[in-house]
Amino acid sequence: MSYNVLVVDDSRSMRKVIWKILRLVGFELGECLEASNGQEALDLLEGKWIDLILSDVNMPVMDGVGFIRSLREKNICSDTPVVFITTEANEDRLNQLMDLGASGYIRKPFRPEEIGTFLSRIMGETDGFRMGTSVEGCDF
Amino acid sequence: MVLEWEPVLKDVIFEVVETMFFSVVEFQDCGQGDRSFDYESEIELQNHDERMVISLQLSEEFARMITAGFLGIEEYQVKDEDLLDTIKELTNMVGGGYHARIDNVGRQLGIPRVRKIVVPNGTNAAQATVRLDFNFFEEPAGSAALSYLPG
Repeated sequence: MSYNVLVVDDSRSMRKVIWKILRLVGFELGECLEASNGQEALDLLEGKWIDLILSDVNMPVMDGVGFIRSLREKNICSDTPVVFITTEANEDRLNQLMDLGASGYIRKPFRPEEIGTFLSRIMGETDGFRMGTSVEGCDF
Repeated sequence: MVLEWEPVLKDVIFEVVETMFFSVVEFQDCGQGDRSFDYESEIELQNHDERMVISLQLSEEFARMITAGFLGIEEYQVKDEDLLDTIKELTNMVGGGYHARIDNVGRQLGIPRVRKIVVPNGTNAAQATVRLDFNFFEEPAGSAALSYLPG
């Protein structure tokens, strides 16, 4: 099964790394979308079916808190898991994300296998992904 | 001289560089910032009273090498924009890691910024600051500093 994924991060390098890691851990990618902040992501999501959103928290224009709040308020992608990949250490802010319906967060720095394990759980892939078996998918 | 922030910042930089950039750095004692580097990146941890500023300076060679490692490409393939972006991401992770290890109540992590250091011949922009130097295979790779500014 392949998944449509949106990656939201103001760092182009970080977006590239996330795509690489998804491929490395065997995550089968369908449509790949990316945005550099929450507002850009909201604009992109109009009329799209997305299976997973991976987002940074600290971003210019609209940060991760504003992004997930807007998703919920506008009822966009209400069933789509939203996972934050972040350096954020402020517990209040992380709790705020969870209260707004985030599926979880992964702290940077991380190891690729942590992402694989976390996402396989979130996506209900009980057997996990086939680590390192796929290099296919979107290329950036 | 060991500064209050030194052990924590050492741990954070070591962990981030090893985990995300697949490199290992060796730290020197804090010095007077008499080494010259090519790039400087900063991030702020701000609360109501003050701004804590973490500054990283990196050599071009080290920056290019960790960018290649981070993106999984060869060094000759590293574009300048990727190099600057990766330095910012490194600083972001160091700032976040430092934030996680201190009493962070009320502090908010800012957005990192980066610049190429341009200094007149024979001078060093960092001379006035006490900095934590680090090497990569005995070659100067960069330095870090932490300072406080009014909020």
